[in-house]
Amino acid sequence: MNKPLKIVTSNKLALTNFATAFALLLVGGFLGLIQGLNRAGVLEIVGGINYYEVLTLHGIFLILAFTTLFMNGYLWSATDYVLGGLSKGIRMMGWVAYGLFMFGALLVTIMVLAGEATVLYTFYAPMAASPWFYIGLVFVVLNIWLSGLGVFISAFRWKRRNKGRHLPLFAFFAVGVYILITFATLFVAAEVFYIIPWTFGWIDTINVMLTRTLFWAFGHTLVNVWYLVAVSAWYMVVPRVIGGKLFSDSLARAVVILIVVLNVPGGFHHQIVDPAFSEGLKFMHLFMSLAIAVPSLLTAFALFAVLERTGRRRGGKGLLGWFWKLPWHDVRFLTIMLAMISFIFGGAGGIAQTNNQLNQVVHNTLWVVGHFHVTVGVAVVLTFFGLVYWLIPHLSGRVLTKKIHNLGIWQTMLWTVGMLFMTLSMSYVGLLGSPRRTEYTTYGGNATALEWDPYLLFVGAGGTLLFAGVVLMVYIVYHLMFLSPKGYTPFMVVEEEEEDAHKTPKWTENWGLWVIVAVLIISMGYVVPLVDLIGNAPPGSPPIRTF
Amino acid sequence: MKQFWYGLALLVFLALPPVRELLESVMAFHMHMQMMLLFVSGLLMAPFFQKRFGHIFESFNKTGLPGVVIFLVIVVYWMMPRAMDEALEIWYVELWKFISLPFLAGVPLRDSWKKISKTFEVVLFLVLMVIFAVMAYLYIFAESTLCNNYLMIDQQTVGWGFAFFTLCIIMYILLVLFTDQSQYFGDDSETS
Repeated sequence: MNKPLKIVTSNKLALTNFATAFALLLVGGFLGLIQGLNRAGVLEIVGGINYYEVLTLHGIFLILAFTTLFMNGYLWSATDYVLGGLSKGIRMMGWVAYGLFMFGALLVTIMVLAGEATVLYTFYAPMAASPWFYIGLVFVVLNIWLSGLGVFISAFRWKRRNKGRHLPLFAFFAVGVYILITFATLFVAAEVFYIIPWTFGWIDTINVMLTRTLFWAFGHTLVNVWYLVAVSAWYMVVPRVIGGKLFSDSLARAVVILIVVLNVPGGFHHQIVDPAFSEGLKFMHLFMSLAIAVPSLLTAFALFAVLERTGRRRGGKGLLGWFWKLPWHDVRFLTIMLAMISFIFGGAGGIAQTNNQLNQVVHNTLWVVGHFHVTVGVAVVLTFFGLVYWLIPHLSGRVLTKKIHNLGIWQTMLWTVGMLFMTLSMSYVGLLGSPRRTEYTTYGGNATALEWDPYLLFVGAGGTLLFAGVVLMVYIVYHLMFLSPKGYTPFMVVEEEEEDAHKTPKWTENWGLWVIVAVLIISMGYVVPLVDLIGNAPPGSPPIRTF
Repeated sequence: MKQFWYGLALLVFLALPPVRELLESVMAFHMHMQMMLLFVSGLLMAPFFQKRFGHIFESFNKTGLPGVVIFLVIVVYWMMPRAMDEALEIWYVELWKFISLPFLAGVPLRDSWKKISKTFEVVLFLVLMVIFAVMAYLYIFAESTLCNNYLMIDQQTVGWGFAFFTLCIIMYILLVLFTDQSQYFGDDSETS
């Protein structure tokens, strides 16, 4: 008798998350196109919505909503698959989490469209939105906590059933991701619960620097959460797609632990030009920020080792012959490989921005926007796109057709070229001083501002290509969900290690200890600035509406 | 031997004048980072001394208890505000800090760690928890500066740092008491 095919049991929940994520990508991408064309000076935004509302929604839909929903769909599927299914109660928890997200997202969107929350996705005080905007954010955070709880409970139950065994690596990644995002959201929850009474008028003033510090403890960590989600695919999916093996189970687990433990204090470098902090404190935080580069470099080493070994096994000769033997024609590999290559540049740019002097040159310029479009827009999002080609057919019980595969190659090319246009021009024009978060203006025909115009045209061109890429991607997702032929697509997860790999030590499983170490390191990073900001608090600011 | 060189390198790095100046400019860095790292450098160097002077440790630290006592005396000494002030003002007290924390706190504690029982480990953490909690209370709520070289806000920051140390120790004790930590040692379990 044939062995039954192994599938994800919570496929409807995952597909719902993905469908919503890609619908939001379509809307958010369209808003991005409007912005890009506006910045290029070829489109004036009319019709009762302004540039800053468009910018706020673009940020919220893409950096918060699309990513969160994709993460939930992907990591819940992975946890479900490797742990042998999720219980009914846990699946119900996933649906409740999804409902909370939708309610929160709806509240946030209505407030922005009503012109009551044009505060951008960073919602810096003293700009004050309607309290309902922040209440909506609370529900989004509740979605994250509940989703995390589902994964933690499932992992805990599996460990109890399988005493002495290591948690499967994919589930280990999921546990790490949700622990990290829980730490991050604790800070933003504190910030939002401080802002809500202020916007209701129950307290008169707010400590602006305190809210910024709480925000960046969350904001930076959140971006690293998306990165860790992408890294999980690099370790778990890429070797399977190219027919290779996992480089080292121990190293992968050490990377997850390091990213979780070291990450949160790294957020301080977003405030490197803020007042109210001493130079010495900023210098100390430089080390904490750069510490995150360590697991990234370990990852680069492990992944290149996998690629080289597999390329050589496929007949690659010489120093770089293996590189051309990799399956470049396979969209599942091409997308993720381009994502990984982009992270080399994105990561290097991030290290440069962590440097106080260099940051002063690029702070609040379009350079920063270019940077996070490389890291999130390419390294993370292209990885997500690469997962779609097998994960969605697996969940929908369909198979990838040649036509959609080839369309995927075009989509990837379009996305890469669009991002190259956009990020290179943003980065360069940022160095020339063009500010971020600003509607198109020539500042009264100022010569310096006019100098930016040719580069800004490329931002618009890149945005146009990217929107075409979004449309293609949404069509691909729709096709894979509803139109592709029925069939079985295997779940892509690497199962073996290289023969000479080091045996995984048991201490990697000690999540209780890693959480304590993370609390210790976070307190090392944040006790000094927070006590100072609270102890030496200025009178504070009343709510200000610039919109 | 590798660990010894790492420990020594850390000690030398911490002794470099610009590093020393930076870490001593903020009270929390001084107490929770510099002193902690000095202690860690001793932990790293310990195996070298255990190997080289094994007979000394064998005769003076047979049960592990004397090592723990020396460690506690040194730690408690450096908790005193006056000790910090003197380290900043008097060069030989500063030198004493660079000798005592690595060699009389870090080295003896690592030598003792394998000799003491699991129960004693928990007791030691409880003692440290109480010391840190008292320090947290003292530094947060003291109405005047206890350390002449630092401001009140620096002092309160150190107090909150101690509060978080205390919290971490409480979490660790709970972890040890309510979970089977033996399952996390060794590397012979099968991988998934």
